[in-house]
Amino acid sequence: MARPTGELFDLGYQHYDGPREGRMRARKAVFADGFRTTLGLGRGSGAKVLPFLLFGAAMAPAVILALIASLSDGQLEVPGHSLYYQIVSTVLLIFAAIIAPELLCPDRRNGVISLYLVRPLTITDYVAARWLAFFAITLLLVYSGQIVLLAGLILSAADPFEYIQDNWLDIPRILAAGFLLAAFITTLPLAISAFTDRRAIAAALVIGLFVISAAASGILTECDGHQTDGRIDGQCEPITGDAGKWFALVDVSRVPTNVNQMIFDVQDEDEDRRIIEDLPKIVPIGWYVILTGGLASILLWRYRRITA
Amino acid sequence: MTTLLEAKSLTKRYGQTIALESVDFQVQDGITGLLGPNGAGKSTAIKLFLGLLKPTSGSAEVLGERPYESLGVRARLGYMPEHDCLPTAITASEFLTHMVQVSGIPPAQARTRSADILRHVGLEEERYRPIGQYSTGMKQRVKLAQSLAHDPVVVLLDEPTAGLDPGGREEMLQLIRRTGHDFGISIILSSHLMGDVESTCDRIIVLEGGHVTEDGAVAQFTRETETLLIDVDANPEELIAALANRGVTAVVDGVSLAVQLVDEEQYDAIRDSLVETNSRLRRLSPRRHQLTDIFRGEH
Repeated sequence: MARPTGELFDLGYQHYDGPREGRMRARKAVFADGFRTTLGLGRGSGAKVLPFLLFGAAMAPAVILALIASLSDGQLEVPGHSLYYQIVSTVLLIFAAIIAPELLCPDRRNGVISLYLVRPLTITDYVAARWLAFFAITLLLVYSGQIVLLAGLILSAADPFEYIQDNWLDIPRILAAGFLLAAFITTLPLAISAFTDRRAIAAALVIGLFVISAAASGILTECDGHQTDGRIDGQCEPITGDAGKWFALVDVSRVPTNVNQMIFDVQDEDEDRRIIEDLPKIVPIGWYVILTGGLASILLWRYRRITA
Repeated sequence: MTTLLEAKSLTKRYGQTIALESVDFQVQDGITGLLGPNGAGKSTAIKLFLGLLKPTSGSAEVLGERPYESLGVRARLGYMPEHDCLPTAITASEFLTHMVQVSGIPPAQARTRSADILRHVGLEEERYRPIGQYSTGMKQRVKLAQSLAHDPVVVLLDEPTAGLDPGGREEMLQLIRRTGHDFGISIILSSHLMGDVESTCDRIIVLEGGHVTEDGAVAQFTRETETLLIDVDANPEELIAALANRGVTAVVDGVSLAVQLVDEEQYDAIRDSLVETNSRLRRLSPRRHQLTDIFRGEH
């Protein structure tokens, strides 16, 4: 017969006398939770499928370009870092439109927001922590792709050291352009998510905004097919005349890529879209700052209003 | 007794509407009921003490600090709202661990606190199930658990029995009593249900139309009256007649007979009448005031 080797005691309720780290711990907790939510960690397997599928889709162009570069032994002209951002921005936009609302909408829909507000945390802390969580993942995504591409291009070069010496400027450009792309792609869907507590509606609004603004900009900057005299340096005259270059700013999806092209000092592949280069350089940069800053302000204003 | 919460000339206006007007009261250790009809100012008072609203004038202090100015004091407060406030996709364990961290407690300790408090509220077995699969009673327990898990000094519970069946309601009230008396966490219980407050609280504060109309120990409001209640199995009419023959007036009051006590000799008359009419006595006791009397103006 087995003899008892120990006893269980119910100690009852125990008060907590350990460390209390206040506001900074609260901010970290909201940030970490946002990070986990974005990747579907701690949720069912279904919640993980989409983030990792989109993560794969964002990495795929970099891997393919790197493979082409290494297999061609430097014989083929492989599109560089600027084009990678242009290609991947569409995938990132879908990623952000579908996943970013998950960080804000359910907390308001389920009423969890009321529990955050009574803890040592301000509403600005909450919004900033959620923003940073999604920004960190987006940044990780764009930089990962660029690192894979950079590694492929370096390793496929005849002389890797010479390649680095010739192209070292790409590294700060990758960092700057990736930062700006991630900041815009984070801010826009989160600002829209502040106006509805339904994720599907927020996602539809974000994608709708991209599609409609791109279509509107496309129509307003379309080349006048009947006009043959207006072509200057391979550019065409838009049907809206001189105002066409301003209408090119309407396309929301191109706001970060316009800045990206300036950072990498490259031209758009699409002739119709090159008309934006007729504007002073400060205009697309200013438009990016106004739009991103404006959306961030709207996000904060909206949350302060909801919780007032 | 430690003063936990204190309202000093506390006024809150929403435009032209006055929610609270120059209210003064203190809340000490134990379980305090905040009682009042809808629109009395209970929710506004709770929001002011939680730091969700700023007073128009006066102050709402918790442990000597103003929670709408000092974030630190919020780490020592717990709040269980009346409305839904739980995520559906994650487990109770994960949710609680997260909320404890948001209260400022490091992750390792937060996990331990979360497991402990879920055991105390009776959700030890179910803690790894998504909250969306829980019954209403279990969700109410998670709501209570999240308000307690960071070991607050005082917890504000807003209608904690809302939506519960009688069994679930009694279990929740028992849990609240245990929290207040065994765990040593002071409680402010806001409710419009007299029964909940009467059976749970040590003290009550009554709000009506933005003013404090009553403030004192529950026993003070439920003390004995000068009316004696008699419950018999059958033939109350015969008993009324027998009592009348002995000069004692009895009136039907619900299922009981009520006798206004004038002197001790009436007990003898009641005893003799019961024997004469061969009535089976169920109850003979003085009537107590009830909290509902406060709102009938009978207090």
